[in-house]
Amino acid sequence: MTETEEKADPPAVMIEPIDISKLDPDFREGIRSMPNGEELSACFACSTCTAACPIANTWKYKPHQLIRMILLGMREEVLSSEEIWLCLTCFECQERCPQNVRVTDIFFDCKNLAAEESMIPDSIVGLAKELLDKGQLYVVTADWEREDMDLEPEVPGLSTEEFKAILKGTRTGRIVGGDE
Amino acid sequence: MPSYNLYMGCSVPANYPNYETSLFRVADKFGIELIYMEGVSCCGSPNLRAIDYMGWLIVNARTLAVAEKNGHDIVTPCNGCFGSLKDVYHFLIHNADYREKVNAELKKTGVEFKGTIKPRHFIEALYNDIGIDEIKKKITKPLDGVGIAIHYGCHLLRPKDVTEFKPEIFEALIRVTGASVVEYPLWKQCCGATVLPVNEELAIRLARDKLKSMKEAGAVFTTVSCPACGNQLDLQQLGLKESYGEEYNLPVLFITQILGLAMGMGDDEVGLEMNRVPADPILKHLSG
Ligand code: SF4
Ligand code: SF4
Repeated sequence: MTETEEKADPPAVMIEPIDISKLDPDFREGIRSMPNGEELSACFACSTCTAACPIANTWKYKPHQLIRMILLGMREEVLSSEEIWLCLTCFECQERCPQNVRVTDIFFDCKNLAAEESMIPDSIVGLAKELLDKGQLYVVTADWEREDMDLEPEVPGLSTEEFKAILKGTRTGRIVGGDE
Repeated sequence: MPSYNLYMGCSVPANYPNYETSLFRVADKFGIELIYMEGVSCCGSPNLRAIDYMGWLIVNARTLAVAEKNGHDIVTPCNGCFGSLKDVYHFLIHNADYREKVNAELKKTGVEFKGTIKPRHFIEALYNDIGIDEIKKKITKPLDGVGIAIHYGCHLLRPKDVTEFKPEIFEALIRVTGASVVEYPLWKQCCGATVLPVNEELAIRLARDKLKSMKEAGAVFTTVSCPACGNQLDLQQLGLKESYGEEYNLPVLFITQILGLAMGMGDDEVGLEMNRVPADPILKHLSG
């Protein structure tokens, strides 16, 4: 009796339990079939990627955890995480991975999947819109500045039509179109 | 006299004509012909890659295919454009199925990606095709003893199996001017530019970390090979006065501005007045 009473307090929960019913077994293969995702399952959870990351100390899910979550099939958590969008795309994690897991490339794949489900930060939707409207991120406004530097006021050869036409037919077009 | 297709991207011409003009002047010294590419625009940036991988592949494959028409390699002064073009080049060379898909789209615009030319960063072309010995002959105003910290930039260095860029290239181009390369702990780290649209505070913190690391290691100024990195390290110094109450006074020069100055060009010729943090320490050194 005394024994059970002493154990009455539930143990402190160290890790949130994973709800197995919510796991998506196809997620792992989905990522593996995406660009540069092949090496995903070589991950042996050493967390070198996290040690190499300049900003992971502020993340809820660290790079090695995100990779593990993909392997486990935690699709929803990964695709809705803000971490994939905060990633600097600096490739430090990928460069150091002893298993040649292309960590940064895989986060790009995750962002593409999130984008397909319209889970994109507003600021990035805004950039997509600019790309589609203007055909480039930056437009020359101060042409006098260029002339001051002995350059043509307008960039020779620049043409944005083809760029816009291409993106209109790909996901960018759907993201921006679906937003209006 | 090597000829290249010049892919400017959108940031340099719009924001940094000082980089563009110094690039042309340096190229001119070596008889390098730079041909502005016809009918191209933006690389889309890592943001496009994040949301629309296929679109990013097609626009960059198209740029590569346009260059294939005259057979000259592409050179670009932007790490971001270089990163996009080189990654797409590398990916399509190694993935026949995607190459087919992309080419099916490109067919509609009358071009085809074959992978017959390479996209290169301008400084790599300068180093490999002109060579340090030739560059040395043109140095008339050596920057003897000036300590320069190099910010290489993520997309120039990594992933290294894709970029094939060696940090020694950048270092050699600085040393040939007589300057010394200041080593600092955070040399590999990101400047924060990519995350600017999603989290400005984080972007500013990263720029600060870099500047602090350079300054503490004794850098007199710093050099970049990318408009986004340049913007981040130069412009944010003004903001850091407010947000962190810190003043770094670390001039940020594009590599072609430094080479130009060391080759005897005037500060107006390399557009030094456009650099936000005044480059006085360098000018003082050159006139002294
Ligand atoms: S460094 Fe590579 S092997 Fe190690 S945890 Fe990260 S992804 Fe897995
Ligand atoms: S690429 Fe992203 S996850 Fe990898 S080290 Fe850089 S910021 Fe961290």
